[in-house]
Amino acid sequence: MAIRDDFEVASGQVRVVLQRFALGLLVLVAFAAMLIGKADTVLVENARVLALDLASPALEAIARPVAAANRTIADLKEFASLREENARLREENSRLLSWQTAARRLENENDRLRELSQFREGPEASFITARIVGDSVSAYVRGALLNVGRKAGVTTGQAVVTGEGLAGRVAEVGDNSARVLFVTDVNSRLPVLVERTRERAILVGDNSPQLRLNLLQGVAGVQRGDRIVTSGDGGSFPVGIPIGEVVQSSEGHIRIRPFADFSRLEFVRVVNYGVTGLVTAPPSATPAAGTPTGQKVR
Amino acid sequence: MRSDGLLAALDRLGRYALPGSVLLFFVVLTLAPLRVPYLSETLPLLPVLVVFQFSLVTPERLPGPLLLAMGILLDLLLGGPGAPVGVSALGFVMIRAAVMANRRYLVGVPFLFQWIGFCLLSGAYVLIVWMLTALWTWTALEPGPAMIQYAVLIVIYPLLAPLLARVRARDPLNVPELSRGTARPGETTS
Repeated sequence: MAIRDDFEVASGQVRVVLQRFALGLLVLVAFAAMLIGKADTVLVENARVLALDLASPALEAIARPVAAANRTIADLKEFASLREENARLREENSRLLSWQTAARRLENENDRLRELSQFREGPEASFITARIVGDSVSAYVRGALLNVGRKAGVTTGQAVVTGEGLAGRVAEVGDNSARVLFVTDVNSRLPVLVERTRERAILVGDNSPQLRLNLLQGVAGVQRGDRIVTSGDGGSFPVGIPIGEVVQSSEGHIRIRPFADFSRLEFVRVVNYGVTGLVTAPPSATPAAGTPTGQKVR
Repeated sequence: MRSDGLLAALDRLGRYALPGSVLLFFVVLTLAPLRVPYLSETLPLLPVLVVFQFSLVTPERLPGPLLLAMGILLDLLLGGPGAPVGVSALGFVMIRAAVMANRRYLVGVPFLFQWIGFCLLSGAYVLIVWMLTALWTWTALEPGPAMIQYAVLIVIYPLLAPLLARVRARDPLNVPELSRGTARPGETTS
């Protein structure tokens, strides 16, 4: 009997040790995954892209009905204020028409001056329209998933814009999916210009709805209401995409409200800007003499 | 083990795969563009609720390695360059271990106690993820959004948990010893 009791006690202890060991092992594997993620970013990137490609068809199936429902709700809300909306739009239309005349005149003038000075603009941008099939929003990430990928010509580093302004840039690309990192994400750093003063700065996201502006020179000159646009430094973004406007400017603390409304994005455009700068250098993008093939140069 | 017919085998298979499938569903749902204020941001925490509730009612059908895989998948899908992959996996495994160690206080007790237990454990989870993410990316992450997520999560718990707990109610009587004995109030395991 004593031997049998001893045996049972021993086997119980072994089982306990095993169970404890199993937990430790799982924890160890989790930490190992984190370490691998830090050490081998390419591997993790590939795993991410694979997971995205697998999940994106399911997400697209979810996204369509949800988008339809959201649209219906928005429509119903608009019904209530149809009359006011109409009046507002009519007023805005007349204002915009006068702007259009001004813009036409300026464009003509610009073209003529360019001819005179033989100015050569960068490659012309083309657009890839994409549907947002997934939100990549948590407490620590601000982003979205697109239903276009490498097959449609999307590459990492390209700008993603909405009708109102810049939304973010492409961070990961799968065959038929891509992940956008919004400008509000904590990892987002953008070279920008203050439109009025032409001052260069870096726009920094911190996961809050507003952005922070880090000026390279002094803070002087930036006022509330100043528009912030992309500067094109680094070459992967076109110059002058609007991003947001200054809403708060006290000493050393400049906050920007982005024009894009991240809470109700449905369609975005990926800007395919000939030169993708540091990320990839297309063979035909040499700015030397002669017309580059495959790209339209004005 | 007695021999079963095909239907019974299918039944058993379905029953065993259910918790994992529900967890997978919630992991993928994380990315769904629901656009509901507050809820959308809390979606990434819902798998925690699933892990807690199933660890409570049927831990043997949600083994540690599966949780590990699901956590890593969640981290991969959630993405964000620089964010640690595996931090959710760590949290899931810890929650399962914590629930298993404290089954006596969590199973067969009034719902309020389970809720309190969930508040404590998910709070620890949110804290761990926040700390590790901040350490990993070496940035001072604002704790505000994480706290809102947490608040919404514990409000959702009473709505979702009874639904998930029904998985257990349909079990036949001959379920493995582990979960059968502990479900009865007043009964203890050792």
